[in-house]
Amino acid sequence: MVTTARLGGADVAGRAIATRPAGSRRSGRAYRRLSVFVIVLGAGLIAAPFAFQMFQRAPKGASMLTEFKPFMTTARLDGYQHEIAVIGAGVDQVGSSVGPYLQQAAGTASLAGAYPSYGQLASQWPAIDQKMTSLLDKVQGNLGNYRDVAALPSFSLFPWFFVIPGILMLGSGLVLLRRRRTGVVVLVAVVGLGLVLAPVAFQMFSRAPAGGHMMTAFRDIETTANVTEIQDDFSVMASGQGAIRLDIVPALESAGLSQPQIAERFPAVDALDADWIHILNDMTPMIGAMSDNVPNYQAMAALPPFALFPWFFVIPGVLLLGAAGWIGLRLPESTAGAAGATEEEKR
Amino acid sequence: MRRIVSIAFLAALSFAAAACGGSSTTATTTGGQALVGTFTLSPGSCSGSSPTGTYFRMITPGGSVSKGPFFSNPDSVCPDKTYTLATPGTDGGFLTGSYQPDPTPTFSSDGSSLAGRIVAPQAFTAINFGISTNPVDPQTRLSVPAPSISVSNGQLSGQIEAWSASWNNQYFNQGSPKPDGSHPGLTSPVSGTYDPTTRAYVLTWASEVVGGPFNGFTGYWHLQGIFEPRSS
Repeated sequence: MVTTARLGGADVAGRAIATRPAGSRRSGRAYRRLSVFVIVLGAGLIAAPFAFQMFQRAPKGASMLTEFKPFMTTARLDGYQHEIAVIGAGVDQVGSSVGPYLQQAAGTASLAGAYPSYGQLASQWPAIDQKMTSLLDKVQGNLGNYRDVAALPSFSLFPWFFVIPGILMLGSGLVLLRRRRTGVVVLVAVVGLGLVLAPVAFQMFSRAPAGGHMMTAFRDIETTANVTEIQDDFSVMASGQGAIRLDIVPALESAGLSQPQIAERFPAVDALDADWIHILNDMTPMIGAMSDNVPNYQAMAALPPFALFPWFFVIPGVLLLGAAGWIGLRLPESTAGAAGATEEEKR
Repeated sequence: MRRIVSIAFLAALSFAAAACGGSSTTATTTGGQALVGTFTLSPGSCSGSSPTGTYFRMITPGGSVSKGPFFSNPDSVCPDKTYTLATPGTDGGFLTGSYQPDPTPTFSSDGSSLAGRIVAPQAFTAINFGISTNPVDPQTRLSVPAPSISVSNGQLSGQIEAWSASWNNQYFNQGSPKPDGSHPGLTSPVSGTYDPTTRAYVLTWASEVVGGPFNGFTGYWHLQGIFEPRSS
């Protein structure tokens, strides 16, 4: 079946109508190529989310951003830094003050020997402290980047930002291939303009690279190996704190000190005991979120670099605008001069 | 016509049997006898050379059920603090054929579990954990059946998908199989022994924690006690 829609001097099959001038025939061929170009661009936009597995990956990115939200505040991150400092001060004071006191008062030669769980914490604490502090510094340093990327539209919507304009373009291109419609050309221009303006409206040129920086910073954090290390460190902290709470403080009491005296002489140890449950309340959900989001991070990291995202909109948008402009400039002349153009086309 | 009458008769018979209930042991599809009632729990003890009664251990990621390494609970009363002993809760143990849900609220202000029907809440690194079975698993949000255990030739089997530990304002499914029917990592089927004369039982299983701060850890559960059939 041959469609014989009129295209300003050429039918859809490109056959020149004998009565039409050569310029009009050239214009018709170019017009048809541009229509095909719009179709290809639309198909490309539709295909992109599938090629990048955005429908699977982008919602995981959205989940990650949502699940990190409760932790990504200055107050919460400062709180974690404070908690690490409380643990560190308590562990240090046990070694520097409680140990000598118990040695003198109760003849305990070595706290680490008498209380192996404390000994393990004391020996591993410098490394744990460095790791946790470095991790928190890194997260805190990316708070602004997180906020930027979280301020973008939900990642779950991202695939649709490609598919919907893609469908509009594909449809427009198919219509244009059959008939010259001013309205369709306008639609192509609007879609193109939308694609160009969307990244500007959503501040993607600043926010997307910020998200990229955050992803780079979290590369060493959101790994199964790192989370397992943190879980191991947590085990050491919990055991060691338990030894302080359940063995060493009672040993001080056995040596004759009352609770108020312990608090006065060893305030850092007292503070660690007093804060421990709060520290657990605070820290374990963070470890949980880190662990749960390893696959989400990996899915997000498998997407194209964030900094490129605005260009994924702008480049097709500019191309569309150019195509629409080109067609638009020729539309009145072509339709007006086309022999056999319908009244509708002339309008 | 005769076929319809036969089917109606069988249906009526089945309905009557179900309505009468009362029987605590019924044949299962696997050929064993379902034990419906309360698996009362003997308190855990570390007095012997190895722990007895009801206890729990947590295996760290990459470990094995037999060799560990195990998470050390400083609040354990055992010399080997990798064993956390349990004492029976207000129901005396766990029920088969029905749920023992989390209370509302489930947690105290410090995150300690208030779920105390199956076992009395036990301290785990300063915060109490509790056990419950709920129609909807609180961690995975999946519907799960009530626990069911059956015996065949003195060997116990079954499912305990709904077994849920609550600790520090968080939930950890500790069932086997897991609520989606899988057996990830070291998760092992429920198994054990049952003496029909004394009704003494031992039930064990392992269940990997999936998700949350203890993701990849595995809980090993050793339950021991006497089975009390549900009275008719």
